[in-house]
Amino acid sequence: METSSSLSFLLTVPLLALLISWVIPKALQRLYAIFGSAMILALTVYETSGIIFSVSTEAAKAFFVDQRLEWVPELGLSAGFRLDGYSAWFLVLSALTTLVAFCVRGVWYRKQPRLFVSMGFFLLFALNSAFLATDLITFYLSYEAVFIPMIFMVGIWGENQKASSVFRFFLMSFAGSILMLVSMFWLMSLHHGATGQWSSHLSDILGSVSSAQAGDLVWPCAGFFLAFALKVPLVPFHGWLKDVYVNAPMPGTIWMSAILSKLGVAGIIRFVIPLFPAVLREYQGILLALSALSVVYAALLAVRSDQGKTLLAYSSISHLGFVMLGLFSLSQEGVNAAMLLSVGHAVTSGLLFFLLHQVEERTGDTSLNESKGLASSFPVLFTGIFLAVLASVSLPGTLNFGGEFLVLLNAYRASALCTILAGAGVVLGAVYMLRFFQRLGLGSPGSAGPVEAALKKDLSMTDILMVALLVGIVIYGGINPGIFMKG
Amino acid sequence: MITSMILFPLVGFVINGLWSLGSARSGRRVPPSVSGAIATLAMAAAFVSALVARSQLPSDGAIEVECFRWFTLGTLAVDFKLRLDALSSLFTLVITGVGTLIHLYSISYMSEDEGAGKYFAYLNLFCFMMLNLVLGSTLPQVFLGWEGVGLASYLLIGFWYREEANVSAGQKAFVMNRIGDLGFLIAMFIGFKYSGSLDLAVIEKAVLPGAVATSFVLLVFLACTGKSAQIPLFTWLPDAMAGPTPVSALIHAATMVTSGVYLLARLSPVISQSASGMMVIAGVGAITALITAVIACFQRDIKKVLAYSTVSQLGFMFAACGVGAFGAGVFHVMTHAFFKALLFLGAGSVIHALHGEQDVFKMGGLKSKLPVTFWTFTAGWAAILGLPPFSGFFSKDEILHQALVSRSGSGWVFGILLIAAVLTAFYMTRLYLLVFFGSPRMEKSKFDHAHESPAPMALPLVLLGALSLAGGFAGEPVHLPHPEAALSTPAWVIMIVSVVVAVLGATIAYRRYAGGSASAEPATDVFRIDAIYSRVFGGGLRATASATGWIEERVVQGLIRMVAALTDLSGNMIRVLQVGSAQAYLLMMVIALVVMVLYFLKGMVQYGNL
Amino acid sequence: MTAFEPWMLLVVSVLVFCVGLLGLILRKNLLVMLMSIELMLNAVNLCFVTFSKMHHLLDGHLTVLFVMTVAAAESAVGLGLVIAMFRNLRSVDSDQIQLLRD
Repeated sequence: METSSSLSFLLTVPLLALLISWVIPKALQRLYAIFGSAMILALTVYETSGIIFSVSTEAAKAFFVDQRLEWVPELGLSAGFRLDGYSAWFLVLSALTTLVAFCVRGVWYRKQPRLFVSMGFFLLFALNSAFLATDLITFYLSYEAVFIPMIFMVGIWGENQKASSVFRFFLMSFAGSILMLVSMFWLMSLHHGATGQWSSHLSDILGSVSSAQAGDLVWPCAGFFLAFALKVPLVPFHGWLKDVYVNAPMPGTIWMSAILSKLGVAGIIRFVIPLFPAVLREYQGILLALSALSVVYAALLAVRSDQGKTLLAYSSISHLGFVMLGLFSLSQEGVNAAMLLSVGHAVTSGLLFFLLHQVEERTGDTSLNESKGLASSFPVLFTGIFLAVLASVSLPGTLNFGGEFLVLLNAYRASALCTILAGAGVVLGAVYMLRFFQRLGLGSPGSAGPVEAALKKDLSMTDILMVALLVGIVIYGGINPGIFMKG
Repeated sequence: MITSMILFPLVGFVINGLWSLGSARSGRRVPPSVSGAIATLAMAAAFVSALVARSQLPSDGAIEVECFRWFTLGTLAVDFKLRLDALSSLFTLVITGVGTLIHLYSISYMSEDEGAGKYFAYLNLFCFMMLNLVLGSTLPQVFLGWEGVGLASYLLIGFWYREEANVSAGQKAFVMNRIGDLGFLIAMFIGFKYSGSLDLAVIEKAVLPGAVATSFVLLVFLACTGKSAQIPLFTWLPDAMAGPTPVSALIHAATMVTSGVYLLARLSPVISQSASGMMVIAGVGAITALITAVIACFQRDIKKVLAYSTVSQLGFMFAACGVGAFGAGVFHVMTHAFFKALLFLGAGSVIHALHGEQDVFKMGGLKSKLPVTFWTFTAGWAAILGLPPFSGFFSKDEILHQALVSRSGSGWVFGILLIAAVLTAFYMTRLYLLVFFGSPRMEKSKFDHAHESPAPMALPLVLLGALSLAGGFAGEPVHLPHPEAALSTPAWVIMIVSVVVAVLGATIAYRRYAGGSASAEPATDVFRIDAIYSRVFGGGLRATASATGWIEERVVQGLIRMVAALTDLSGNMIRVLQVGSAQAYLLMMVIALVVMVLYFLKGMVQYGNL
Repeated sequence: MTAFEPWMLLVVSVLVFCVGLLGLILRKNLLVMLMSIELMLNAVNLCFVTFSKMHHLLDGHLTVLFVMTVAAAESAVGLGLVIAMFRNLRSVDSDQIQLLRD
C-alpha cells in the first residue's frame, strides 16, 4: 500500500461504484448505496491504515504518498495528489459521511433513486480528489466538481424554497472559487516570473513563493482565504448557510455540514498556511478575532433558533469557529488540534442530523417552540441524541473535548482575549444544546407531541448500528485522541 | 486496588445502563431490586478497594498507577494516571462509603419507580466520575471528573423529566457549572503557559508571577463557586432539590459540591501564593455562609432548608480555605458529608412516610411515628449545630478558630461566620421542631399512614448517625500545612464561644417554634437573588441573542440582498443597450473595431513604427 | 496605359467589403443581408489572392478555397434558416425578429 497505486485506487473506487449503481434496480438502491459506501469506507481505512493507525507522526510519515502525473506539461498542468496525515483522515471522514448520508431514508429513495446514489458516489469521488490534490488546478477542478452533485441534491430533493437555496449556494460557492482561481493564476504567474517555467504544482509554487515579498502575497492570500471562509463558513461570510442547510434534503445537509465544510479546513491546512505564513502572521489578530466572533455569534443565533435543523446549522458554524481558531493559532499543535476537532465535528454533526431526521420522520417536524416529550416513546433514539449532544458540548471523554481543549490551549498562547471570548461559546453551547434536547425529548409527552408518534417504532437495528459506530468513534477518540493528530 | 476502585462503579454503570436501555426498547422494565443490588454491590466493592488502598498508602507519600497515555501534542503530554495520597484517599473513602449507604437506601426509596435501572446507572456513573475527579493526577483528568459529575448531576436532577421544572433545574445546574468550568479551562491554560505541564504534581510546585497567580487563583475559585454553589453561582443548588432525595444527599450535599474544596486543598501551595486571591475566597465563603443561612430561615420546603444549609456550610469550608486552613476545610467536608447526608436521608424518610409532602408547616409530631428517623435526625441536628461531642463541633470549631487566629484570617471573617453559626442553629432547630414536635399539621389520614422506613433505609440512617456522632474524634484527617498564627487566642475560648452561639440560636428557635402549633409562615425569597439573576442574565442573554438575530436578519442578510439588488440594478442599466436588433449590435461592433484600430494605429505612429 | 498594380486590387477589395458591411448594417431584408455577407467574404478572398500574388506564395490561394467552401456551407445554412423563419413569422424583416430580447 505504500505504492502510489493506492491513490489511484482510492479515486477510482467511487467512480466504479457510481457505474455499478446504474445497473442496480431501483428498489435495491438504498441497500446497494449503504453496502457500497461501507465497502469504500473499509477500503479507505485499509489503504490508509499505515497512517491512521501508526503510533506517532514520525511512524506515519513512512506511509505518506506523493504522486504527480504530467497532464499538459507545456502549460505546467499536472495532476498532483498527496496522501498524508491530514488527507488520510479526510478521506476516511468523507467515506464515513457518505455512509451516514446514504443510511438516511427519505424521498430521494423514491424519486429518482439512481440519480441520487450515483450523485452521492460522484460527490465522494470529487471530495477524495479535492482532499488529495496538491496541484492547484487539480484542486480547483475537484473543488468545483463537488458542487455539481450538491446542486442536484438541493434542486431535486430539496424542501420548499429549493430554487432560491440552489441559487444562493451556487452563487456563494462560485464567488469563492472564482476568487480562488484568480489567486491561483496570480501565484502561477508569480512562479513563471521567478523561474520562467509554468507550473501549478504546490511544491513548485512553494519554492517561488517563499522568496516573494509578503506584500505581493496579500491579495492571493485574501482570495484563498475568502473562498475557504465562505465554504467553512466563517462569520460574516455565513449568510448563505442557513437557507441551504434547512432546504437541502437531509443527506445533503449531512454532507454539507460534516464534510463539505472540511474542504475549507483542508484547503487552509494544505494551501493557505504553507503558502502564506508571513501574511497570516501579519493578520493573525484579525483572523483569530473573526474565528472567536464566529463561535459566539453563531452560538447566539443558535440560542434563539426555533427549528432543530436551524439550531444545528448554527451550532455547526459555532464549532467550526473553534476549528478556525485552532488553524489560525498558526502552530503545528494548533493545526493538529483543529484537525482533531474537525473529525469530532464531522462525526458529531453527522450523527445529530441523522438522528434529527429520525425525529422528523416520526413526528413530522422539529420545531423547538414547545417540549415534545418524545424521549419516553423512543428511548434508544433519544439516548443516541443525548450522547451526540454531550459530544457536541464537548464533554470530557468525548472526541470533541480533546479537540476543543487543545484548540483553546494553543489559541491561548496566541491571544488570551480571543480565547476567553471563544470560551463564552463553550457556555452558550451548553445552553442551546440542552435546550435542543429538552424541547425534543423531555417534558410531558401528552402536551404537544402528535399522538401517532407514540405508535411508531424506535430506531431500527441498522440505525442502531450506525449510531453505535459513530458514538464508538466519539468515545474512542475521547480516550485516544492522538490517533487523529498525524500532521 | 486504585484501578479497581474506579472500575467497579464503571462496570455497574455499563451493566445497568445497557440493561435498562435494552429493556426500554423492548418495553420491559428492569426490576429495581436487582439493578439496585448490582449498583450497591459495585459501590461496596469500590469501598472495600478504597479501604485496602488506604491501608497500602505510605504514611507520607502517594501511590500512582499509570493507566494509559491520554494525549500528546507538541510539548504537552497528558497521561491518564491515578494518584492516591492522604487527601484523595479521604475523599475516596467518603465517596464510596457514604455512596454505598445511599445506594442501599435508594433500593427501597426507588422501588416504586419505573426508571430505577436508569437511576442506578446514573448514580454509579456519578461515583465513577467523582472518583476520577479526586484520583486524577492531571488537571484534564480532574476536569473529566469535574464535568462528568456535572453531567450525572444534570441527569439526576432532571430524573423525572416529564416535569418541565425538573428539567429546567437540571439545565440551570449544568449551565451555571459550565460558567465555572470556563474558569477551570482558562486556569488550566494559564497553568500550562507558566509551568509547561498540566500535571498536578508540577502545577502544585509552580511559582507564578504575582498577577498571574491571582488570576489563576480567581479562575480556579470561579470554577469552585460553580461546582460548590458559592456566590455568585449558588442559585442552582436549591433548584437541584428537584431530583430524588438520595441524590440530593449524595451529590448535592456529601460529595460533588465539596469538590471545590478538594480542588483548593489540592492546589493549596499555588493558592497560598496569592494573598489577595485568598482574601477573596475567605470573603466570598463567609458572605455566602451568612446570606444563605439567612435565606434558609425563611424556607418552607424541608429540602430547600437543607439545600441552603449546604451552601452555607460550604461557605464555612471556603472561608477556612481562604484563611489558609485547608486542613480544617477538608475536615469539615468529611463531617459535613456524614451529617448532611444523614439529614437529607432523614428528610427523605420523612417525605417517603408522608407520600411526597415536603412542606415543614404540614408536618409535625412525627417523633413517635418515625423513631429511627427521629433519633438519627437528632444526631445530625446536633452535629450541624456543633454541639460537643458531635462531629460538626470539632470541624466547625477548628474553622472558627483558624478564621480568628490565622495570619490571613481576620476579625470580620470570624464575626460573619459566628453570625452564620447562630443562624444555622436557628434554622436547623426550627426545622427539627416543626417536623418532629408539636401537633401534626397534615391531614389525619396521612399522619395515620405514616410509618417508619424499611430496614434498607433505616440501616444507612443508623450508620450515618453513628458517624455523625463519632466522626469528629478522628481529628483533622489530612495534614495540610497550617497557616501561621497571628493571634494566640486559646482554642478553648473559641470552643466555648461556638457552643454558646449554637445554644443561643437554638434557644431563639425553641422559643418561637416549640409552642405546639406553629402558624404557617410564607416562604420568602429574602434577597430575590434568583429573580434578579434570571432578570439580568437570562434577560441579558435573550436580549443579546435577539440583537444578534437582528444583525443577522438586517445586516448580514441585508448585505446579501443588497448585492442581489445591485446586480439587478446594473443589469437593468445595461439592458438599455440591448435593443434586440442584430444590425444595431453589428453597428456597435464595427464602431468598436474602428476605435480599436485607430487606437493601435495611434500607438504605432507614436513609437515610430509607421 | 498604366501598368496593372496589385494595390489597385486591394482598393477594390476594401470598397467591396465596405459595400457589404453597409449593406449588412442598413438593409433590413435577411436575404439581402446574407448577400452582403457573401460580398464581404468575397472581398476578403480578393484580398487573399492579391497578397498571394504579391508575395509569390500559394497560401493565399489555398485559404481562398477554404473560405469558398465554408461560404457555400454557410449560405446554405443561412438560407435554410431564413426560409424556416419566413415560414414561422411570415416575414424576413430583421427588425421584427427580436425573440431573444425579452
